[in-house]
Amino acid sequence: MLTLEEHIEHFAKLTPNKAAVIWGNETLSYSSLWKRIQEKANLLKGEGLSEGKSHVFISKQNADFIVTYCATHHCGGICVPLESSTPKERQQQIREEVNGKCLNGECSDILYTTGTTGKAKGVMISAKAWNANAENLIDRLGFTHDLLFIVCGPLNHLGSLSKIYPTLMTGGTLYIMESLKDLNAFFSVFELPFTKFATFLVPSSIRMLLQIASKNLAAVASKIDFIETGAAAISQSDMESLCKILPHSRLFNTYASTETGIICSYEFSKYGCEPGLLGKPMKHSSVRINEEGRVVCSGQTIMTGYVGAPELTAQVLRGGEIYTSDIGNIDENGMLHLLGRQDDVINVGGYKVNPSEVEEAVSSFPLVADCICIPSQHILLGTVPKLLYVSKQDKEVKPKDIADFLKGRIENYKIPLLYESVDAIKHTYNGKLDRKAYQKN
Amino acid sequence: MKERIIELLTNALPMVNLESDFLFSELDSLGVTTILMLLSEEYGITLEAKDATPKNLKTIDSIIRMVEEKLGRNA
Repeated sequence: MLTLEEHIEHFAKLTPNKAAVIWGNETLSYSSLWKRIQEKANLLKGEGLSEGKSHVFISKQNADFIVTYCATHHCGGICVPLESSTPKERQQQIREEVNGKCLNGECSDILYTTGTTGKAKGVMISAKAWNANAENLIDRLGFTHDLLFIVCGPLNHLGSLSKIYPTLMTGGTLYIMESLKDLNAFFSVFELPFTKFATFLVPSSIRMLLQIASKNLAAVASKIDFIETGAAAISQSDMESLCKILPHSRLFNTYASTETGIICSYEFSKYGCEPGLLGKPMKHSSVRINEEGRVVCSGQTIMTGYVGAPELTAQVLRGGEIYTSDIGNIDENGMLHLLGRQDDVINVGGYKVNPSEVEEAVSSFPLVADCICIPSQHILLGTVPKLLYVSKQDKEVKPKDIADFLKGRIENYKIPLLYESVDAIKHTYNGKLDRKAYQKN
Repeated sequence: MKERIIELLTNALPMVNLESDFLFSELDSLGVTTILMLLSEEYGITLEAKDATPKNLKTIDSIIRMVEEKLGRNA
């Protein structure tokens, strides 16, 4: 099994001048990328990074990420990339949490996620799992050497990070964007001299493109080889609209999570648009439904465990299988259908938000007496966190005051987008928040 | 118009500092789209991806100029 770095080294010899990574107006060829990785690895070694040691760094949306990521692995280190909005206190906690805890050789990365259990924790992923993820993607989606893959999501998350591997392992080219915010910049990528383009877009980004950029999308339709979506539910109407605008592109809906890796993918442009249908397991993965209706995944892509949390790991990973919180079924053709979640976690465009964490952060805001964080529907994003709150002593509290208070205390994606001032919050007889009472909101 | 736009955007994007001189840098892709969609609906104009430039979304005043320009063109 060749590592990602060894693949890059291979292409640095085979196609040294070919573009490996493009961002903004800058390009790194395979030979330059390999040189930068070696230089960075020497630097990191000089700073004390060695086999089995963790390297915590803030994730940047440019080639530096790829260089640091590969250089860390080249030293035998473990990558712990963090979201740029991670509060400093939390960064320190994570440094202490990962320090020296992962020396069993079964871990090359630790990705922080709320994920399956609803609590923020570090998911350990092995090099073997990354390779299996990459082979799953190459096999099902068809990554090739002449493809330019546009990454416009955060590189410290599975959705984008998992695309670095198949792109660079097949000698293709990565285009890294900060985000999809500047749509003109996104569409200008299609002017680059490549014949095949592909990208991963969460369902809210697809809705955004359909709402305000459908003409631009149609104009580049002939260049788009494939688009993969996932991480959250995509509506049937959005799938159908995308198929109409991109009649010759391959469009996939994928089932994956940080804990399970990339498990299933369904080509809805070919086989028909059906919400929740995620297709058959990929070559290195298996899926079954247990007696509670939960989706259970196994195979080479699954995580090693949660860092420093053997009990939490045992709740989710048993007998080589990941017990997810997703509810689903498998049809007579062996295809996975997702029906919903079993827990309170709110899935915001692929980011998992534990409502308790939001409520706890708001509880220290002096002008709020009580609150509950619930899922609500947003015209673009789909499901988003909404905060219902009771002001103290009839004082007016503006949503912006609460949002400003939460900045720096929790990650930005966890901050509610919708707010409603209410007279009281419903509790159960024993004083707990009555989440079920708000389920129809 | 300014008060109305501030009211609309404050409610829709509570995390964003609308008084910023670098508003575009504070927005994420959802924020950009929300602004375009809300203003299109409120003023009966068509704002598209090509309008979502850093220049048009630099400050609340530049957003107002963009809306006024669209309204002028539509008149």
